[in-house]
Amino acid sequence: MRTTSSLLLLGAALAAQAPPPSPTFGEPVRLKAGDKFLGENRWFPSPVFQDMNGDGRADVVVGDLAGHLTIALREASDGPPAYAAETKQMALDGKLLDFHNW
Amino acid sequence: MSPQFVDFDADGKLDIVAGTFDGSPHLARGDGVGWNQPEQILDATGKRIVLNAFWNFDTKKWDSSTDGNVEGEKGEEGHFTSAVAFDWDGDGDLDLLLGDHRSGHIYRRDNEGTASKPAFGRKNLPVLASGKPIDVRGTVATLRLFDWNRDGLADLLVSGMGDAYQNDEGGGIYLFVNTGTKTDTRFAAPIEFVAPSKKGTVGEPTRPDSGLYADAGDIDGDGDFDLIVGGYSHWTPTPPKLTDEQKARVAELTKVIDEADNKLDALNDEMNKLVNAVPEAERAKKFTEIYASKKDVRAAIMKERTPALEEREKIAPGPKRISYVWLYENKSAPAKSN
Repeated sequence: MRTTSSLLLLGAALAAQAPPPSPTFGEPVRLKAGDKFLGENRWFPSPVFQDMNGDGRADVVVGDLAGHLTIALREASDGPPAYAAETKQMALDGKLLDFHNW
Repeated sequence: MSPQFVDFDADGKLDIVAGTFDGSPHLARGDGVGWNQPEQILDATGKRIVLNAFWNFDTKKWDSSTDGNVEGEKGEEGHFTSAVAFDWDGDGDLDLLLGDHRSGHIYRRDNEGTASKPAFGRKNLPVLASGKPIDVRGTVATLRLFDWNRDGLADLLVSGMGDAYQNDEGGGIYLFVNTGTKTDTRFAAPIEFVAPSKKGTVGEPTRPDSGLYADAGDIDGDGDFDLIVGGYSHWTPTPPKLTDEQKARVAELTKVIDEADNKLDALNDEMNKLVNAVPEAERAKKFTEIYASKKDVRAAIMKERTPALEEREKIAPGPKRISYVWLYENKSAPAKSN
């Protein structure tokens, strides 16, 4: 009994150390924003989830190598995720927000 | 440039942190309504935070520094282009994690100040996984922090650049689970989320192949983390069946394009020789002068090349490299809280 308990404890300890399994992802699908593909022909598009308008839905903000951001607001829907056409992120000075690269 | 929305200076307002191609991390301070124009994040002595390579805005050329190298680190070629703010040591202020897009390495700059007055150290400290410096396959494109396994600790998602221009292997996406504590961050060996692309697709684009920039979030509300990934797809459209006439026309157009390319190569060689003949300090100015003087020659070559390329593309479309943003829906069971 003592040996069995020790083995059980060892097994639990090993399980706790084991890395979690790799997740299974479906085949990738291109997202759309309005009637265009999101991020199409952007210079190294880098998307991030962020609720930009405080409606509780995660929108997508896309940065790029040029240093600019666009926002695709998540639309309310029961089906697959749907996003509105991208708009440019402006800064408080009224100009395009510009992470000036070089 | 990969934005992170975070309250960088503990003023209750969301800021934006991003690494950029100039080699330094940047900050756009928020005021609760919008964001100011970005500024470079400096270290405690007022110097730029760089790995090695950086764009020098004063001399307007690429420069290099080893000031941030820790003792014994001989690297001179690293280039920071990604950054995230993260409380590495649980002391209540944000430190910086920075990715090298020329290698797979990730570094840390500790905040030796406070949450509201950050003061970053001068050295780039290598970030380890399973006791060894992280070395992401295909170099680092972007870093993301989120609690993948819902144990209260931030895990590290890293997506790779791969070969963004030619036919070599593309980028992958990896997760480094945080197996430490809130005050002692320790990353485990990486779990591969998305394998690097072998490219070579014919027909339609099927995935982002290179320049992978990923983020994680529950896009479909089913309780697990999905991935959203920007990147370049490399594919070749299905070759059309051409008539003999079309094949002959493609051959003619290819000859025109090849001749134009040879002229462009010769022009570039000539310009490079002229530029390299002057002292280095004068080369940027010399290049501008020579480029302007050869503008008409270049325009004449392009006048032959561009229409031929466009016509050939309509008859027999060639390899494509176009950026999109993709959704990878998580089909696994949601992770259980520990």
